[in-house]
Amino acid sequence: MGRFWALFFIVTAVITFVVSWISPSMGWWFPTDGVAVFGMAQSTLGRKIDDLFYLILWIVSVTFVATNVALGYALWRGATIKPEEKVWFSHGSHSLEVIWTIVPSVILLFIALYQLDVWAAYRVRGFIKDSDGKPKQIVAVAEVTARQFEWRIRYPARGKTLKPIPQADDIYTVNELHVPTGDLVSITLRTDDVQHAFFVPELRVKQDAVPGKLIPVWFDTLVTKDYEMLCAELCGWGHYKMKAKLVAQSTEDFEAWKDKVSEEQFDDGYRKPAE
Amino acid sequence: MSTLHPTIDHAGHADHGGHGHAPSFFFTYIWSTDHKMIGKQFLITTLLMMMVGGGLALGVRWQLARPWERMPLFGDAVFASEGGQISPEAYTMLFTMHATVMIFLVIIPVLAGAFGNFLIPLMIGADDMAFPTLNALSYWFMWPAIAFFGASFFMHGGGPAAGWTGYPLLSLLREAAPGSRDAQTCWLLGLTFVGVSSMMGSVNYMTTIINMRAPGMTLFRMPLTIWSMFITAILQAFALPVLTAAGFMMVADRLLGTCFFVPAGIVVNNAPPTVGGGQTLLWQHLFWFYSHPAVYIMLLPAMGMVSDMLACMCRKPIFGYKPMVYSMAAIAGLGFIVWGHHMFLSGMNPALGMTFMVSTIMIALPSAIKTFNWIGTIWGGRIQFNTVMLNCTAFVSMFVIGGLSGIFMAAVPVDIYIHDTYFIVAHFHYVIFGATLFGVFGGIQFWFPKMFGRMMNETVGKVHFVLTFIGFNCTFYPMHMLGIAGMPRRYADPYHFPYLEHLLPMNQFMTTAAFLMGFAQFLLLGNFFLSIFFGPKCGRNPWHANGLEWSAPSPPGHGNFDIPPVVYHGPYEYGSPVSGEKDYLMQTEYVPLAQRVALEDH
Amino acid sequence: MMFRVICPNSTSRTTRLSFQGVIVCGWALLSLGCGAGPQAEFKYREATDDLISDAERSVKSTLKDSFGTPNELVAWERFPINYGGIKGAVASAAGDKAVIVTLEGESEKIRNKTPILWLTGSVAGDKTPLVTVAGFNAETKQLTLAGVSELPNAGDRFVVGFGEDLQLGRHVYMKNCMHCHGVSGDGDGPTGQFLNPRPRDYRNGQFKFTATKSGEKATRDDLHRIVKYGIPGTYMPSFLLLGERETKVVVEYVRWLAIRGEFEKRLVAELSSDYSETSIADSVRKAEAAYAEKKKNKEEAEKPLSANKVAKAAASEFAKYSKEDLPAAIEETANLLTDAWTRAEEPDTVIVPSIHRVDDTAESRERGRLLYMSDKTKCYTCHGMTGRGDGAATEDFWPKPGTTEKFANRGLHDEWGNQLKPRNLTLGQYRGGRRPIDLFRRMYAGIKGTPMPAFGGTALKDNEIWDLVNFVMSLPYSSRQPSPAAGGNMAKLDEKPAH
Repeated sequence: MGRFWALFFIVTAVITFVVSWISPSMGWWFPTDGVAVFGMAQSTLGRKIDDLFYLILWIVSVTFVATNVALGYALWRGATIKPEEKVWFSHGSHSLEVIWTIVPSVILLFIALYQLDVWAAYRVRGFIKDSDGKPKQIVAVAEVTARQFEWRIRYPARGKTLKPIPQADDIYTVNELHVPTGDLVSITLRTDDVQHAFFVPELRVKQDAVPGKLIPVWFDTLVTKDYEMLCAELCGWGHYKMKAKLVAQSTEDFEAWKDKVSEEQFDDGYRKPAE
Repeated sequence: MSTLHPTIDHAGHADHGGHGHAPSFFFTYIWSTDHKMIGKQFLITTLLMMMVGGGLALGVRWQLARPWERMPLFGDAVFASEGGQISPEAYTMLFTMHATVMIFLVIIPVLAGAFGNFLIPLMIGADDMAFPTLNALSYWFMWPAIAFFGASFFMHGGGPAAGWTGYPLLSLLREAAPGSRDAQTCWLLGLTFVGVSSMMGSVNYMTTIINMRAPGMTLFRMPLTIWSMFITAILQAFALPVLTAAGFMMVADRLLGTCFFVPAGIVVNNAPPTVGGGQTLLWQHLFWFYSHPAVYIMLLPAMGMVSDMLACMCRKPIFGYKPMVYSMAAIAGLGFIVWGHHMFLSGMNPALGMTFMVSTIMIALPSAIKTFNWIGTIWGGRIQFNTVMLNCTAFVSMFVIGGLSGIFMAAVPVDIYIHDTYFIVAHFHYVIFGATLFGVFGGIQFWFPKMFGRMMNETVGKVHFVLTFIGFNCTFYPMHMLGIAGMPRRYADPYHFPYLEHLLPMNQFMTTAAFLMGFAQFLLLGNFFLSIFFGPKCGRNPWHANGLEWSAPSPPGHGNFDIPPVVYHGPYEYGSPVSGEKDYLMQTEYVPLAQRVALEDH
Repeated sequence: MMFRVICPNSTSRTTRLSFQGVIVCGWALLSLGCGAGPQAEFKYREATDDLISDAERSVKSTLKDSFGTPNELVAWERFPINYGGIKGAVASAAGDKAVIVTLEGESEKIRNKTPILWLTGSVAGDKTPLVTVAGFNAETKQLTLAGVSELPNAGDRFVVGFGEDLQLGRHVYMKNCMHCHGVSGDGDGPTGQFLNPRPRDYRNGQFKFTATKSGEKATRDDLHRIVKYGIPGTYMPSFLLLGERETKVVVEYVRWLAIRGEFEKRLVAELSSDYSETSIADSVRKAEAAYAEKKKNKEEAEKPLSANKVAKAAASEFAKYSKEDLPAAIEETANLLTDAWTRAEEPDTVIVPSIHRVDDTAESRERGRLLYMSDKTKCYTCHGMTGRGDGAATEDFWPKPGTTEKFANRGLHDEWGNQLKPRNLTLGQYRGGRRPIDLFRRMYAGIKGTPMPAFGGTALKDNEIWDLVNFVMSLPYSSRQPSPAAGGNMAKLDEKPAH
C-alpha cells in the first residue's frame, strides 16, 4: 500500500507538470488574438514582463522538479524500507542547512534585483529610455475616469495638450480609449467614485485608480489593433461590466478619428430640408 | 540528577482530578474553562463553519460554471421571480462571505483556537492555560462574531459585498453597493469580535508557553507545534491592534462621518459629495499590516503541527530542529515588513514597491528551508502511510506549489500582470487550503485519540483524503492558467469578454471538482462525529509518539497529567539507538547520561 | 525490532455509517437542488391585482395570450417590433419538397430545423402543420422543406425563424439588463431598488431622453444611443461593446416590454374605475356616507347595497362588459400603441432644428443668459441662479400628478414618483448626451416624464433655443465659478480655465 501512496504523490506532481507544460498549446496561456501561440505582450514593457515571467518560470520549474524528485524518492524509499532495516537516525546536517540557505538566497536576491529596472521603467519617470539611453518622451493622450461601471475618457482637442481641468473643446468618449501606435503614451487615471483598476491584459498594463488621486500610467503599443480593457479591482456589483476597448491606431488615423469624434460631438443636428 | 522516573505504575496516587464533585453538564460542556473542552468547542465550531464557507464557495463556483442560470437552493429561494438567476451583488456577497467565513471563522480559529488550546498545555506539561477564564472568553467572543456575520446576510441589500479586504470606498460609503449598507457595519463589528477573541487567545498562549512549561522543558526541547503557536501568538499580539484600530476607524467613518479613509468630493449613486480629508490607501496599509502577518497566522501553526506529525509517521527525528525554529521566527519577522506587496499597484510610492519586493522575495527563503527540512525528515524514514501521513505529505507537496507560485507575484513587474487575477486565487488557496487545511485534517486525525480517547476511522479518512486531494487539485491548479490567461478575480461573468470565453469549459470542470471536494467533507464530518461515539478505544499513546501529551491519559482528565511530567530531552527521538526495543523515546523517559550523547539534547 | 504500521483497526460500523451518511446527505442536497426550479415571470401592476377577480383573470390571460411569459414569448404581430426572422417569397417549385425562393435578408444564415411561418397562400393559417427547414442552398436559393403536406405556390410569402430576434433580445436582456430593470421592465430588478436614480420603468411606454417631439415615443435610435453610450451620472453604463446585433435586438426587446407594459397599464386603467376592489370599496363607502348623511338629516333614503352585493353586481356587469366591450377596448389600446410607436419612427417626429447652431459668441451667451433668467423660460426656478440645480422650486412641496395630494419630500418628482434633482449645469455632465443637438432637443421637447417643459415651437424660437444652449454649455467653463468637474479639490488649478 505504501508504494501506491508514494506513486500517488509522484503521479500528482507529474500530472501537474505536464498540465503546465501543455497549457500554452491548449490556449490556457497569455491572451492572444489568435496569431501568437504564446500570446506575446504587445508593448515594450510588456515584453520585458514576459521575459521576467519566463525566467521565473524556469527557475520555479527546476525547483519544482528537484523538490518533487526528492520528495518522491524519499516517499518511495520510506514505503519500501524493509522491516529489519534501520531508519536514518539524523537530527540534521549543518552543511546541508548552510547549502540550502545560501543557494536559494542567492537565486532569490538575483530575482529581486534583476527586475528593479523594469519596475522603475514602469513607474518612475525618466527610467524608461530610448535605445540611445535618453529618457523617452511621454505623450499625455487622455484622462481616463473610471466610474461605476464604465470608463469615461477625455481627450484634448486636436493640436492641444491635455489640461488637468476640462476644456470646452475637449473630446469625450466612453469605454473606448484611442492611442497612437508606437508612441509612449500616458493616461491620467482617476476615479469618480470607488477604487477601480485599469487593466489591458495584452499590454500587461495594470494600475489601480484610487479615489482622490490622479495617477499617470504610461505604455506603448506595438501593434495596430483593438485591445481589451477592463477593471481589475472590485468596484461593486457591476465590476464585470466594465468592458472597454483600447484602440491603437496610426498617428494619422488617431488624429482623423479625433476630428470625426469632435465633429459628431459638436453636431448641431441641422440638416438641409429635403426639396 | 536523581529524579524519579515516572511510569504508569506510579500513577496510582497522582490522580489529579481529585475534585469533590463532578461538575454539572453546563460547566463541563458549555461554560467550561478547561482548555481541552475549549479546544474541542473551537474545533467543532470551525468544522461546522467550514461547511458554511464551503457552501458559499460552491455558490461562487456555480455562477462561474453556469453564469446567469438558475442557481439551486440559494437562487431558488431568494431570486424565485427571476427564475433562480442570482443578481450580481449576490455573487459579490458570496465570495466576500466565503473568504470572511473561511479566514476568520475557520482557519484562524481552528489553528490557534482549536489546536492551540488543546495542545499547548498538554505539550508543555501544564495542567491548563495560564488564564482559563480568558481562554473560555476567547471562545465565547467567537459567537458575537458569528452572529454579526450571520446577521449581515439578512440586512437590506444582502451581505457585505466589498471583498474580504473591505477596501474603501466601496465598503465605506453606504451608497457604493447594496452590501455596503448596514451589512458592512455588521461585518466590521464581527471582525472586531474575532480580533478580540484572537487577542485573548494570543496573550494566553504567550504567557502559558513562557511560564508554565514542565520541569526540563527548555525552549529548545519544545515541540515545533509549540514553537509555531508561540510565534503565531506574538504575531497576533503585535498585528491585531492595528486591524482593530482600522476597523473602528472604518466604523466611525460609516456611523459618525469621521472621514479617515474618505477623500473629498466623491459622489457615489448621486448621494451628496463626501466631505473628505482622508486617504483610502490608509485602510490598505492598516489592513494589510495585520492581514499579511495573518497569512502566517494561518500557516505557521500548521507548519509546526505537520513537523511533529511527519517525524512521528516517518519514525525518525525532525531534520534540522533549530533551523526550523529559526526559519519560523524569520517568517514571522519578515512577515511584518512585506504587507506592501498587496499594494504594488495601489499608486503608493514606487520606491516603496521596490523595498517591499525585496523583503517579499526574501521571505521565500525560510519557507524553502522548511520545505527542505521536511523532505530531509521524510528521507530515510520508515513511513507509516496512514491518513495522518497522507495529509502531511499533501501539506508539503501543496506548499511547494503554493510557495513557488508566490515567487511570481513577489516580482513586482510580473505582479503588474497577475495582480487581481485568478493566479492570486490559485496561490492563496494552495497555501491556505492546500497546505494549512490538509495540515488540519492530518492534525484532527492525529490528535483525535487524545481528544476523545477513540480513534478515527482509517478507511473513511483515506477516502476523504483522496477525494479532497483530487478535488482540490482539479479545482485550484487550473486557476493558475486562468490567471495567466488574464481572468480577473471577482467577476460574476468573465465570459462576456471575448478573450475569456474559451475558459468556460475549464471553469465547468473546476466546478465539478469543487463539488466533489465539497461533498467529500461530509465524510470528514461523519467520521469525526461518529468516531466520538463509535471509534475504537485507544490507549495513552496509540501513535507511539514522543510528545508529553501522549503520556497523559486519553482523554486527559481535568488537570491533564496523572503524573507530573518531567522532560529529559527533545520530542523527536524516534528510531534512536538508545531506546532499546521500541523505536520511540518519550520526552519523559530518562536516558542515562552515558547514552545521552547519541541524542541531540536540545 | 519489529514495527507495525500504526494504523489502528477500525470498526466497520463507523465506516458504514459515514458512507451511508454521505450518501444520504448528497442525495438530499441533490434532490433539493435538481428539482424543478422556479421560472422567471412577468410581474403585473398593482392596479391589475387590484381588479375584481374576473377582471383580473381576464386581463392576465389577455396579457399572457398576447405576450406570453419570459420563457415562452408570444409575438403579437400588429406591433411595430422587429421580431426577427428572414422574410422571403417563393419564386418557383423545385421538386416535391423544395422551392426556389427570394429572400430579403442575408441568406447564408438559414439553419436547418428552423420553423417557417407562412404569411400568405394556401399553406398559411393555423391549420397547416409546422413546416421546418430541411436544407438551404445559398447559391441556388433552393429551400428544402420538412413536414410539408402541400407545396406552397409561387408568390407565397413566408418568414424563416420568426421571433428569433425577440428571443435573442430576451437572452441579452436577462443577462445584462434584468438585474436593474427587472424581468418585466418595471425598473424593480433585484439591484434596481438600490440605485439613484431608479432604473427606468418601461411600462409607461415613456423614455426620458428622446429625439422626438413632445408627447411622442422614443425612436429606436434613441434607445440604441442610450444602450451604447450609457447615461452619465447614473448607473446606466455604456454597453458600447455589446455587439451591433445584440444592441439591436435588446432595443427591440425593450420596446416590446414597453408596449406590453403600457398595454397592461391602459387596459387596466380602462377597467379599474369600475371593476377594481378599490373603486368598489370607494363606491360602497360613498353610498354609505350619503345614506348616513341623509339619515342624519332625517331624509328619506334607500339603504345602500351591501359590499357583497355591489361586488356581485360588478362581477355580473363585468361578465357583460367582457363579452361586449372588452374586445373593442383591447383592439383600441393595441391600435393606439401601434400608432404611437409607428409614428415615433417617422422622420417628421424627430426634432430637427430649422437653423444651424447660432455662433457661440459672448453676445449669444448673454442673450441665452437673459433668457435663462427671464420669466418666459423660468429656467432659474429649478436650475438655480448659478445653474447648480438648486432653484427655489426644489424647496417646495409639489402635488402628485393628477391629484391634489402632495409628495412627502420637498423638491421635484418625475412621473414615476421618484424625487428628481434639476440638473446641475456646471458639472458638464449631460445625461441625454452632450452634443449641441441633444441639448437643443431637451429644451425643445422637454424631458419626458419630468417637470422639464418643452419650449420648442411655441415659447422659444429655434435661434433662442440655440442662445440658451450656448449659455448652458458655457457654464462648466465659466470663470465665475470653479468647476467641480475638474475633480473638486483634486486637480491642481495651475491652468486658468479657457473662458
